[in-house]
Amino acid sequence: MEMIVKTGSLTKSYSHKPVVDNLDMLVPTGSIYGFLGPNGAGKSTTLKMLLGLIHPQQGHIQIFGKTLDTKNRLKILQNIGSLIESPSYYGHLTGRENLEIVRTLKNAPPQEIDHVLRLVRMEDQQHKKAGHYSLGMKQRLGLAAALLGQPRLLLLDEPTNGLDPAGIQEMRELITSLPRQADMTIIVSSHLLSEIDQMATHVGIIDKGQLIFQDSLSSLHEHSRCRLHLRTTDNSGAVSALTQKGIPAMEEDDRVLLRNTDDDSVARAIRHLVYAGIGIWRVEETQMSLEDIFLKLTGKKVSL
Amino acid sequence: MLIRCIRSEKKKLRHSILWLACLAIPLIPAIMGTFNYLGNLQILTPGWYNLWTQETLFYADFFYAPLIGLCCAYLWRLEHREHNWNMLMTAPVPVWAVFMSKLLIAFRFLLVIQLWIGILFLISGMMIKVEGPIPAEIGLWLLRGTLAGAAIAALQLFLSMIIRSFTIPVIIALLGSIASVGITAKGFGLFSPYALMMLGMNANKAEDMLGGQFVSFLAAAAGFLLLFCLLSVVWLKKRDIRG
Repeated sequence: MEMIVKTGSLTKSYSHKPVVDNLDMLVPTGSIYGFLGPNGAGKSTTLKMLLGLIHPQQGHIQIFGKTLDTKNRLKILQNIGSLIESPSYYGHLTGRENLEIVRTLKNAPPQEIDHVLRLVRMEDQQHKKAGHYSLGMKQRLGLAAALLGQPRLLLLDEPTNGLDPAGIQEMRELITSLPRQADMTIIVSSHLLSEIDQMATHVGIIDKGQLIFQDSLSSLHEHSRCRLHLRTTDNSGAVSALTQKGIPAMEEDDRVLLRNTDDDSVARAIRHLVYAGIGIWRVEETQMSLEDIFLKLTGKKVSL
Repeated sequence: MLIRCIRSEKKKLRHSILWLACLAIPLIPAIMGTFNYLGNLQILTPGWYNLWTQETLFYADFFYAPLIGLCCAYLWRLEHREHNWNMLMTAPVPVWAVFMSKLLIAFRFLLVIQLWIGILFLISGMMIKVEGPIPAEIGLWLLRGTLAGAAIAALQLFLSMIIRSFTIPVIIALLGSIASVGITAKGFGLFSPYALMMLGMNANKAEDMLGGQFVSFLAAAAGFLLLFCLLSVVWLKKRDIRG
């Protein structure tokens, strides 16, 4: 698979505390790469390093097959659109005038302004001052600015942060429609697992500056092995009966959790319980939620 | 690249009241200077030279550098606000062009300010009916003040770039100007950009303060200009950008 972004041992520390720690990021061309992690995990710092806004202490970055250095910086930036932290805008200028400034700097043709305004559905608000926009509109203006110059790579840092539910949904739809419409690779960061689940094709999970998972979204889902719970007339009796027979089990939330979920183990477990005279009310299969997977990967509960 | 940056800088200044400030603020030293001239006619030799000494006494000592500082602070305030640093520094333009475009825009402001001060000098002189021919050196002094002003602009742009506050660099310009009155008096005028401007403008003096030092003056102005441009570009290249 061709990678549009590759980083090797990327490290950034502030006062000797690593914020990004030996990060090896691989973003496949054409993907929507969901960059997931709790607040303060190092997502923004990583994205800012990819843009050359922050200089890494160690490691290297390759974008479009070129090393990000002083020599290649402008060539790489020419093909990147970004929306980092909060949206950038000049409050005393209208939305359209703001886009004019970005268009001039990117040297994009004038007709692109109407195109990106249409894409983010802002034609009607283009002549209002950006300072008077709602956060959702500022965010859309930021996205429009990022789309100017037809970038091959789009970096979006928490693009739904602070938006109302309707705005969030709209932004998600917009982002997922872009790769199809414009042949673009997107890196989108979020602290919301459900959000990444709805948008991304690939996932990188960062925690305390370290990449703890990186693969396709489907492979992340494969981690969510199903769990089998039994509801019985005597849960503690069931656990001891099963343990005696060498079948790993434990009590969990008024139920008995079977550790092995292959067909043979389940059949054996049920047979032993019936012989032991324990009534079985229900056999329930539950999928592990993405929150559970995150918990498994990081070993700690975070609000995702 | 530089042209693109200049165009975008000009677009950023739309709907701004900076021009108004540049036209209104020089009125204050012109009026103060004129009244000072009229009030001190017993000890001053009447004439255009002494009107110049009185007007530049206020203008160069208190107004010119802070006004340049104000323009420069405004140019960077645009970027300090609303995370515009991120946008500016991810634009596919070299950092030297980013800085130079701001410097050229600032220089355009100070050209207009100097021209305006020249016009105000003539208007005030005519209004109070100063006699005699208008000395041609005044034009040269204004031009020298503009050149030294460019060095001040580079310094002020550097300060306003690294200091997020709008007012602190303007106050530095004011304090720098006041301190430079003493520096100029002690004969070290070539070592401060603010003092350089006073020497160039021939502030508060009727005879030429530079005398035979014109080349040193040019070299010092160019030196300061280059120094602060270099410092700024290095800072932009090395510094981590925090929105």
